[in-house]
Amino acid sequence: MYNTKQRILEASVRLFNENGIDSVRLQQIAEEVGISVGNLAYHFKNKEAIVESVYEQLFEDFNTIFRQYLAQPALTDFDAQIAQYYRFFAKNHFYLSEFFKTAGLTTPYHQQWQENMTKMMIQLKSRLQFLVAKGDLLPESQNGQYETLAEQIWMALIFFIPKAQMMARSVDEISYKSGVWNLIKPFFSPQGKQEFSVTILPQLYW
Amino acid sequence: MKPKFQIDAAAYTALMQGLNSQYFVERKGNMTDFRLYYDDLWLADTAVIENIHRYKGEWAVDLVFAHIHNPLKFIRRNITSHPCPKRAAQKAEFMRRLAAKDQRGTLSITIQSLNLSHN
Repeated sequence: MYNTKQRILEASVRLFNENGIDSVRLQQIAEEVGISVGNLAYHFKNKEAIVESVYEQLFEDFNTIFRQYLAQPALTDFDAQIAQYYRFFAKNHFYLSEFFKTAGLTTPYHQQWQENMTKMMIQLKSRLQFLVAKGDLLPESQNGQYETLAEQIWMALIFFIPKAQMMARSVDEISYKSGVWNLIKPFFSPQGKQEFSVTILPQLYW
Repeated sequence: MKPKFQIDAAAYTALMQGLNSQYFVERKGNMTDFRLYYDDLWLADTAVIENIHRYKGEWAVDLVFAHIHNPLKFIRRNITSHPCPKRAAQKAEFMRRLAAKDQRGTLSITIQSLNLSHN
């Protein structure tokens, strides 16, 4: 059984995604949940309190993805993490408009986002280093090659969904995953290629 | 918003490298690493006997754990000491009862199990 607080947060995220944080009123959130504004005020003092809780949950979810790093050495471990990134960004795409809306202005949320993004980038670089050490990826042919690749992967993970929206295309988990794996594919060693074709490819083109 | 724990980027990088190398460095342990469990297994079948004796002007409480099938295999552990012999006896009693708890019932040894030779 859901508790009301959780239901309010979920409805808020849905409305924030559709309308942006600023244009959502408490009345709308209450209607979406199916409770009175008075009841809503009992759970959250004001909209700032809701926004704060939404962000708190958002960062917690994001950190949960980080914690999945290298649970197993196989390529499927990264695949599972990509799937989690997809679910996270598909569920919370309001963050992006919020982030750029207040550009130039640094809020605590901005700082937290930036920290998380730095972490994400470090994790991606470190993942590629691991795959090179394991022999799944070819050794660097030129300096900084995999740093650039990590940045490209990062961009794909973050901006794949907004890109699809801009081009009025639908996006699903498989196309998202393919978008990321296509970047890595050219760098696979024969061993990595073999593992990829056995474990990942059948999921992407079934 | 309450301040959250923050990790330095350099520290996080080092952490990730540590996780990476874990895969290459960590190896399966040997069965002999569990030797200590095997070595101490006999302690599960021991009777507990309290022993009070004078030591440095006090009454020291020792517990002797003797194997029920071969009482000559035993270990002795000093538990506590007390200036008053009655209190020492009381403490010894409590500690023995605590240590002797066993699902099978309190294990004990008899003089027969010592298997003395009278010739």
